[in-house]
Amino acid sequence: MAKPPIRKPKKKANPLKQAKVEYIDYKDTNLLRKFISDRGKIRARRVTGVSSQQQRQIAKAIKNAREMALLPYTSTTR
Amino acid sequence: MRKYEVMVILDPSLDDRTIAPSLDTFLSVIKKSGGTVDKVDIWGRRRLSFEINKHAEGIYAVIDLESEPSAVLELDRQLNLNESVLRTKVLRPDAR
Repeated sequence: MAKPPIRKPKKKANPLKQAKVEYIDYKDTNLLRKFISDRGKIRARRVTGVSSQQQRQIAKAIKNAREMALLPYTSTTR
Repeated sequence: MRKYEVMVILDPSLDDRTIAPSLDTFLSVIKKSGGTVDKVDIWGRRRLSFEINKHAEGIYAVIDLESEPSAVLELDRQLNLNESVLRTKVLRPDAR
């Protein structure tokens, strides 16, 4: 019997802890750009590797930034 | 009294010299009601990531203030009535 290979999910380093960010500000577009794809979509938590609380704050901040045209809702570069 | 952060996007066709005085006239509502304006940060012209009212650029300004909620509501109302204001956002930075 061949065992299905068990994939161990690799734990990602928390990018916010490295950058020493405590409060996610919607005005900090350089930081927020790390959490959106090149299409402008918010990256999933399994991609970003942040905690769920932080992911929620990031999503809030990105949405606020979009309302003020600091970040795009969509960007059709392709 | 509460702390607020107000972000305003102004029409890019405005003259740079008139921005600070015109923001001051808006902020007189806060001062009259006993609030204080802590900081006015004018970012200047910045590209919008999408068009707002056919404008590709906007003049951003961020204002930190401390005031009664009703005065901020009135400030936001007056900003939105003005034609040269493209967009506003009022946040409370300490209510996370």
